[in-house]
Amino acid sequence: MATLFRLQVMSINGVFFDGRVNAVIIPAIDGDREIMAHHEEMVIAVYNGEMRIQTEDGNWRRAVVGIGSAQVANNRVTILVDTCERPEDIDLRRAQEALEDAKEKMRQKKSIREYKMSQAAMARALSRIKSASRYDHM
Amino acid sequence: MANIKEIRDRISSIEDTMKITNAMYMISSNKLRKARKRLEETEPYFFGVQNMINRTLRHIDLEMEDVFLETHSDIPFMSRKKGYVVITDDKGLAGAYNHNVLKLAEDHIKSNNDNDDWKLYVIGELGRQYFISKGMNIDETFRYTAQNPTMSRSRKITASVLDDYMEHKIDEVYVVYTTMKNSMTCEAQITKLLPLDMLQKIKDIKLPDDVYREEFYLEPSPQAVIDNIVPNYVNGFFYGAMVEAYCSVQNSRMMAMDAANKSAQEMIGDLRLQYNRQRQAMITQEITEVAGGARALKQLKKKK
Repeated sequence: MATLFRLQVMSINGVFFDGRVNAVIIPAIDGDREIMAHHEEMVIAVYNGEMRIQTEDGNWRRAVVGIGSAQVANNRVTILVDTCERPEDIDLRRAQEALEDAKEKMRQKKSIREYKMSQAAMARALSRIKSASRYDHM
Repeated sequence: MANIKEIRDRISSIEDTMKITNAMYMISSNKLRKARKRLEETEPYFFGVQNMINRTLRHIDLEMEDVFLETHSDIPFMSRKKGYVVITDDKGLAGAYNHNVLKLAEDHIKSNNDNDDWKLYVIGELGRQYFISKGMNIDETFRYTAQNPTMSRSRKITASVLDDYMEHKIDEVYVVYTTMKNSMTCEAQITKLLPLDMLQKIKDIKLPDDVYREEFYLEPSPQAVIDNIVPNYVNGFFYGAMVEAYCSVQNSRMMAMDAANKSAQEMIGDLRLQYNRQRQAMITQEITEVAGGARALKQLKKKK
């Protein structure tokens, strides 16, 4: 039996996960990164993508996360992200619409700020769609 | 003294107003309950982010070039360009709620600025109208309602404020909003959001060189971590402040409506008393008139 460690996942909407886990995989800028027990102390920037948590019983739980950061200290992992949802909670059509909307906005010549906003919205929509459609096929 | 019909009309008009204030009371209490739940949900995140920023700042080179690590200590306090995010409500009828926030913001602007280069970002229609009518320096493109705060709105607000901050159009960001001290009292307060207060504190503490400091890796780079976490913190703060202000306005409105209901009841009581007195006076008068008439008739008969 692998050693466990405590994981806390919080978003602005509330505490998403709090408990002991085997491992957690988070989306970083250069690909996914897995953290297991007794990991070196560090802070990692988290980007839009899919997070996977292996719980005590060995099952994997998925979640779609937004921008944020993860902190590893004293064998405890704290992940703070902008948004965090389960794939089954995502409304695929709404994400699809958000993507269309963001694309539309990016096509129009707008200020840099609006461009960045639509870019961020697009990244969120894309990662939602990716996770949610995979969940549908399972 | 007013006549009976006037008093009756008055009573019914007060009763009609009371129906409205009563309904507003119940709507507010319902909205307050919902908003309070949301406020509780954001709290763990908020404290978590604060801790993480604190921890990160202690382990990085603070001389590093990053817009969120500047303290602007080279500019004298009075001439730093200050940005104020003022959270008011869209409507009145909430006691002194809006007035308190506006007054606090105005006082702070007057006593802390040498120049006229401060900028206002106003959330809520009422505050906007107030500052426009005073001819104050307000961002016209910043138009957001205070009703039902959402994440997407706070994201837009964060983007526009941080944009000005990163372009050095403003040097400091203050938030003026209302907090709930307990379930009965709300208090307007002003909080400095940027530059981070803890930054200055950490810079002030000088650790001796021979002290061992635990090492922290920041992936992919310290800048990336800071640039990821600070906007999140700002966004979380704005969202929290908006939710708390929304809670406070519902609470203030509830109390204002409760007071209105009570004084309406008092007024109706007074008017009822007057009405009954008038009615009795009228009856007495009629009886006297009838009795007087009867007596006069009797006397007339006796004479005959």
